[in-house]
Amino acid sequence: MPQDAALAQQDDLATLSLVEAADALVRGEVTALALTEACLARIRRHDAALNSVIWLDEAAALEAAAAADRRRARGEALGPLHGVPMAHKDMYYQAGKPCSCGSAIRRDFRPTYTATLISRLEEAGALTLGGLNMAEFAQNPTGHNRHFGDCQNPWVRGRITGGSSSGSGAAVAAGFAFMALGSDTGGSIRLPASACGVTGLKPTQTRLSRHGVMPLSFSCDNAGPLTRTARDCARVMTVMAGHDPKDPTSAREPVPDYEAALDGDLRGLRIGVAREWFLEAVDADVLRAFEAALDVLRGRGATVVPVELAMMREVLTYGAVVSRAEAAAIHATWMRDRPGDFAAHISGRLFPGYAVPAAYYLEALSRRGPVLRGFAQAAFGAAFGAVDLLASPTIPGALPSLAETDIDSGDPGAISRFGAISRNTRPFNYLGLPAISIPCGFDDRGAPVGLQLAGRPFAEARVMQAADAFQRDTDWHRRRPRLD
Amino acid sequence: MDEVFITQAGEAARRWSGIASPNETARQMTAELLKLIAEFEALRGGLRFEDEPADFEAALRDCKEPG
Repeated sequence: MPQDAALAQQDDLATLSLVEAADALVRGEVTALALTEACLARIRRHDAALNSVIWLDEAAALEAAAAADRRRARGEALGPLHGVPMAHKDMYYQAGKPCSCGSAIRRDFRPTYTATLISRLEEAGALTLGGLNMAEFAQNPTGHNRHFGDCQNPWVRGRITGGSSSGSGAAVAAGFAFMALGSDTGGSIRLPASACGVTGLKPTQTRLSRHGVMPLSFSCDNAGPLTRTARDCARVMTVMAGHDPKDPTSAREPVPDYEAALDGDLRGLRIGVAREWFLEAVDADVLRAFEAALDVLRGRGATVVPVELAMMREVLTYGAVVSRAEAAAIHATWMRDRPGDFAAHISGRLFPGYAVPAAYYLEALSRRGPVLRGFAQAAFGAAFGAVDLLASPTIPGALPSLAETDIDSGDPGAISRFGAISRNTRPFNYLGLPAISIPCGFDDRGAPVGLQLAGRPFAEARVMQAADAFQRDTDWHRRRPRLD
Repeated sequence: MDEVFITQAGEAARRWSGIASPNETARQMTAELLKLIAEFEALRGGLRFEDEPADFEAALRDCKEPG
């Protein structure tokens, strides 16, 4: 086969959705080895420009792919992700493998055990290619990284990828992997999903195990997937969700078959739009994409209604106290012993957390239940119209550049631009609610725009059902960035 | 910037945690704590301290979709 044709074939394979790839494997139309080679080939060709990968274990991945094909050829019982290549934010522990957490401090760290989510994915047949770039210790919403280099947006070079799961967003958009785990403490899955034009789900707090996942804020951290489609998310969530004895904080709620809930039918679904906070800082081009997205959901039978929120001041204030104090505590030893090994904007963000009184922190934490109840009653309760989901733009402004948000450059405006990025995602972390970001258009400068849909606790099925219905009538999630 | 507050906050960090302010960004972000303190104090008295240690987890369950 001529070289150009071979490359085109690999590109076609690597840009399938996860479900398309998994189903093609089942039908025998493709092999795990071909999929793995296609992903690795794209990484080799394009990652010098994107900088989304921190490490790869190509030999292990190819060997695992070949073994997966042999098992399939023998007719063995196989899991739903058998032979599908993935790569993950470089903060998921894998025994004996690198796990830098995007930092200089942990550059040589090799965990001795494997994260439960990685184990569950691999037990379902998934292949792991390597570790992906990320904000240092998952602590910025942009993708800046002093130690491994900034991750570049695949759609518009020089724009942020969103963070902190920057490499996860860029790699999935670029066809380097069919799914990537990210983590989300204030938007770190949804922001790169929005900025890179992919689908990213922050589940309900406690829905997924965090065993073997580097912490940033014990109360607000969430693991979760970045994929090309909502159906991809549903398939991996069915594999990953469920109580984990190694993470006693993980929920014991039953796990539905998330994919079975994707029926495309939104009749009777009520979607609330809150002008307060969520639409107060939206740029015109983002608003246009958002309103067009609401029309698509209406076309599927959903009713879109305005909604008044409650407790937003509590959510924002208490959430900021909790995340600052917890991040500071987690990094105290390194801040004491190796402060110069953090990027300046990371140590600078951590430092104020040491001045938060413990009594403030405990007050903020203890009020989380009452605040959630108050917020849920207003948003989802009968008194104000009983909506099922809340919709908003994921990132309210046009996507900024890496330069505009580079705090370490000394630009005094960078700090406020930094904070504005996660304005619409942060509230759902303190509240613990599930929220997804799906692509719904492009801004005036050619960067993707994300639609965020948030639901009640443990309503991941509902959130993904609406996202999937949207994707049945749109092709934003099928568009691919030009990388050459 | 409120230099008195920044100095006091830095002193608290040093005494309680043995951590010194690492850079100018830390100073700027410490100054922003004043806004957070004002917000926090504005909420004072609005909600009581929750007695139950696992109330948030209970709230997640209680606020699920019916059925």
